[in-house]
Amino acid sequence: MHNPRVNKNHWLSLAFAAANVSGVAMAQAQPWVPNNIPPPTPTAPPTPTTAPTPTPTPEGTSTTDVVPATAAVPTSEVEPTTSTAPTDPYRFKPVKPKPKITVDLPEVLTTPTGYLLPAGILYSKSSLDTGGGAATDLRIGLGDVAEFGIATTDQVRGRFNLNETAQRIQPYVTASFRLGVGENRLFRHQPGMTLGFRKSFEREYDDHATRVAELTLVASKHLGDRATLHAGAAFWDAQVRSLSDASNTYVLHDQGIKNQLRAFGGVAVKATDSADVLIDWGWTPEFCYTCTNQVRLRAVLSWGVRYNLADWIRIESGVRVADIQNANLLDAQIFGQVTFVSRRIRDAIDSLRE
Amino acid sequence: MKALLTMVTATSLCTAAASASHADTPAAEPLTLRKIFTQHFTSSRLFAMPIADVVGAYQITFSGDGSLLQQPGLLTSAGVVALGFGDIAQLEYRNSAAVGATGVEAPIPAIGVQLKVPLPAHHNWPALALAFRLGVPRRETIDGAELEESVTDLYVVSRLHLWGPLRNLTLHAGTRISSAKAAALSPGFDTTEQQRLLVLPAGGWELAMNPRARMVGEISLAPEFRWDPALGGVPTIDYGLLGRLGLRWNLIPSITIDGSIGYQVEVGRMNDADSLRSLVQWDIRLGAEIFIPWGALMCRGVGAFCNR
Repeated sequence: MHNPRVNKNHWLSLAFAAANVSGVAMAQAQPWVPNNIPPPTPTAPPTPTTAPTPTPTPEGTSTTDVVPATAAVPTSEVEPTTSTAPTDPYRFKPVKPKPKITVDLPEVLTTPTGYLLPAGILYSKSSLDTGGGAATDLRIGLGDVAEFGIATTDQVRGRFNLNETAQRIQPYVTASFRLGVGENRLFRHQPGMTLGFRKSFEREYDDHATRVAELTLVASKHLGDRATLHAGAAFWDAQVRSLSDASNTYVLHDQGIKNQLRAFGGVAVKATDSADVLIDWGWTPEFCYTCTNQVRLRAVLSWGVRYNLADWIRIESGVRVADIQNANLLDAQIFGQVTFVSRRIRDAIDSLRE
Repeated sequence: MKALLTMVTATSLCTAAASASHADTPAAEPLTLRKIFTQHFTSSRLFAMPIADVVGAYQITFSGDGSLLQQPGLLTSAGVVALGFGDIAQLEYRNSAAVGATGVEAPIPAIGVQLKVPLPAHHNWPALALAFRLGVPRRETIDGAELEESVTDLYVVSRLHLWGPLRNLTLHAGTRISSAKAAALSPGFDTTEQQRLLVLPAGGWELAMNPRARMVGEISLAPEFRWDPALGGVPTIDYGLLGRLGLRWNLIPSITIDGSIGYQVEVGRMNDADSLRSLVQWDIRLGAEIFIPWGALMCRGVGAFCNR
């Protein structure tokens, strides 16, 4: 029989989640400060007749950005500037405004979308639910073409037989890599598309070593200004290996493609300017160690609301039914999660390139 | 005397003119680190496959990648150090992709030289290169028994930039001629050395998605050693398929980040039940390539190689 027990990895997971939240929160708690404070290198100032000293504005632009003062002065009236002219080392250089980046999130609530994080954008999500589940997700966009992430999930479950209630196996650590093209990149009305691969590290629990892997192909399309549709197919695989009986190994891919392939999708509707209503349908593996079919895919239905507090923080809350196929609403969980998006790494890369 | 005065006058005038001319020449711009590390760099590989380019003169590159997912509890990695000689050759030390008897993509160390054939650089013409890699013997322990393996390769690779609507696409194709050797070393086993010559195709493509990122795919065959100490006998040499799909992203010109997903079919071949559908055998690899323009750094640091 399965005996729930405290697992040291559980505490590691919580610590990781807390560090993840606090780390990104600290990184984002302060407003962005322009990192181009005037350099100590003095530059020759324009003469009084050519242009006034630019005055930085709160938006980070200067008056000289708008109209070049020298253009209004005849060339003949411009006094020659010599290298011996006095310099003002405290003069502010015009601050170049950062281009606004639209970030379409890589997940609806639990299922992937057809959107990738822009290059250098860091994404973090941490969630808790009423069943004691905790999950974290940390990703970074690579070159506007791909995305890499490390996550812990609380959705994989296991039990010894069908008469038992499945228990979460957590933390279940996974790595993911997604590759794709943005919306309207190849042709007009082309949906955003991603090919994603997610695989877990091997997890030992209840005398069994398990691991899961998932290959997804997703398309996402904005429908007008207020709705987004996501649809995709997932190809699953999983392995169960008994630690006490080396000959007892079960793999999902031995059961045929129909047991591996599943469709999933979701809808996001912008209810107000700062809140989205989200619904998604996905799948998750469940292990049954003494059953004939030791790996089954269970449908998961989630719905909830995303509140966009700012560009860099969002709060989501909703309901997740882990076994919707059996209409098992008793197993539904209310969850809350917070999402952070940071462009610090992107800004650092941009500053290296300049 | 008059002739002498004329000569002195003429010499003085020439010297003065030369001095004036020298003074008019603008001074060379200082070689800053930013300039050094933001020049254009050329890679000589896709993920594992060499391509028909070399890193270039006065350049050295360090590159590697690793995976924690390929084998539970084991970090697998591979790396290359390449030193450019002239614009057409490079020396390198690498851990090339091969498949060990334990089913792991076991790196086998190799030293080698890569030579780019100096064909005229015409538009739409393919480039061609030869790469020779001398295998260094590597020992692998399987259930307490030792196996020694080595692979010596000759690659012939070509590269073609496409044009027109496909101008963002570059194709790579090649052949790997491998001489693979394996022998059991432990007493009690047949220690006869096994050798096999393999001719293995390799191919790949690059699609420029934006000025700094390329989507890359490659597929190639690699030597595979099989030996089960429990069954005895001699090791056998076969081949297996390696495939990768991912991106190469120029973080800055001198640093490239690699990320890819991959599959090795030979794992499936060891067990009839496994196949391409065995996703748990796939892995994710992350890596990087760093370019060090040592010639420019020497010029900046000690004033050497500045005329290059």
